[in-house]
Amino acid sequence: MEIDVEALKRDWTGFTFDTAEFEALTADLVGFATACGETAKRYTDPSDPDFQAVPNYPSRYVGRRVLPDNFPRLGGGYGFDAGKCVTPIAPIRAGDKITARSQIHDVYTKTGRSGTMLFIVHRMEFSNQRGEPVSVVDWRMVQQDRGAQ
Amino acid sequence: MSLTFDDVDFGAELPPIAPDVTLANVRRFTTASGMTFARFHDHEQARKEGLPGAIVPGIMSQGILVALIHRWAPGAVVRKIDTIFRAPILVDSHPVARGVVTDKNDETRTLEIDLTIQNEAKETRVVGTATVELP
Amino acid sequence: MILDLHNHSIKSDDGRAKVENYCQWIKKRELGLDGFVLTEHRQFDAESDYRKLEDEYGILILKASEVETDYGHVLVFGVNDDLRAAYDFTRIDLPLELVIRETERCGGVAVPCHPGRPRVGMCAHFEAKGPVEGVRVIETLNGGSRGEEDAAALALAEARGYRGIGGSDAHIVSQIARCVTRFPNEIRDGDGLVAALRAGDFEALSWK
Repeated sequence: MEIDVEALKRDWTGFTFDTAEFEALTADLVGFATACGETAKRYTDPSDPDFQAVPNYPSRYVGRRVLPDNFPRLGGGYGFDAGKCVTPIAPIRAGDKITARSQIHDVYTKTGRSGTMLFIVHRMEFSNQRGEPVSVVDWRMVQQDRGAQ
Repeated sequence: MSLTFDDVDFGAELPPIAPDVTLANVRRFTTASGMTFARFHDHEQARKEGLPGAIVPGIMSQGILVALIHRWAPGAVVRKIDTIFRAPILVDSHPVARGVVTDKNDETRTLEIDLTIQNEAKETRVVGTATVELP
Repeated sequence: MILDLHNHSIKSDDGRAKVENYCQWIKKRELGLDGFVLTEHRQFDAESDYRKLEDEYGILILKASEVETDYGHVLVFGVNDDLRAAYDFTRIDLPLELVIRETERCGGVAVPCHPGRPRVGMCAHFEAKGPVEGVRVIETLNGGSRGEEDAAALALAEARGYRGIGGSDAHIVSQIARCVTRFPNEIRDGDGLVAALRAGDFEALSWK
């Protein structure tokens, strides 16, 4: 399957295609941190005066749509998670109402052990209920051209 | 006493950790993170998807690496963490997470840390870097 | 002279290493490496100038590329303007035959890398499609190899009389110098490296 990367970039990058809202629940913050082996009390103990989500916590959030409507599905599905880059800006506290805005930041192709792959860099920008930015997560989704394998 | 920027040399190695990726703990993670896909918490379902067994979610791997940093330097502030999920880590396996300081910026008082998670065969399954500020 | 012939910097999409940090790491760890080559994915980094770092650290820093072909990935040494015009480094489906022929014509050397790796290594494609003429050197030791991948590369080299190089395929600083290549004589620049590779007198080493 021929992939026109330049057309994908032109047509799909640089605009917000989804907005979603989440609440940072205490139990989830603690569960996420402790399952990862976190020991610092500000992440595991809700009674700590600086209790907050671990820095990569926003990477768990998925919007109402993973991709824009009608975005091509090479291989038929959304693809798999090839990596995440998280830039924490401010702490996320228990009870915060988080808004996430999603856009396609970049698209490129390469070949690897899994064959020909389309990399989609999905960027989510998170802000809290005061409109303050709290994090940016770049998620590298990979779709595979199963027909070319 | 928490580690400070001046305590750390270029090339310093973080104490490695053997993270808990048992099915029970991964299930705790998927519950907390809302990741309901069966491939993360059901070996049988994962095999039906063509995987050798249930796999550890990528973001849990990333969280393990963040925990590695905080165990070494409880006062560390992670300014950025960037991880590449090269290959799955299997649930109920015995991986090891490691880190080493590969840049020290005196102006910003930040470190860059190379991060890896290797499986029992010493294959690197997760690789990445973190930018960390120390007091 | 010992060189690591396969490494990526932040110029590669999946590279996270800054070149100065590679230099610092080599010196701090006293790795015994005389130099390294940056083989960025699907591009040649013409802009970066590492001569100041070379002088500061006493390490040879050369630039090359890793391109993607119908037979897997290939390291291209001796990149010049003629070669950059000969084929599109950004494509992921370059014909291997074209890459070998044109690289040779323009004065460089094309070296299939990690040939034992599934899909992006030459071995699997040789089995399916038959060999391609003109290959003389392959990467028999790769720092990122899993399982029997290097063994497959070594077997291919033996079977077809290819010479073998070693390269770390480092994407982060601490991965450099996992696999290297030893040359009997000093190499001072890219032309010297190409001449040495063409001469065939070198040895791949694993420092894992």
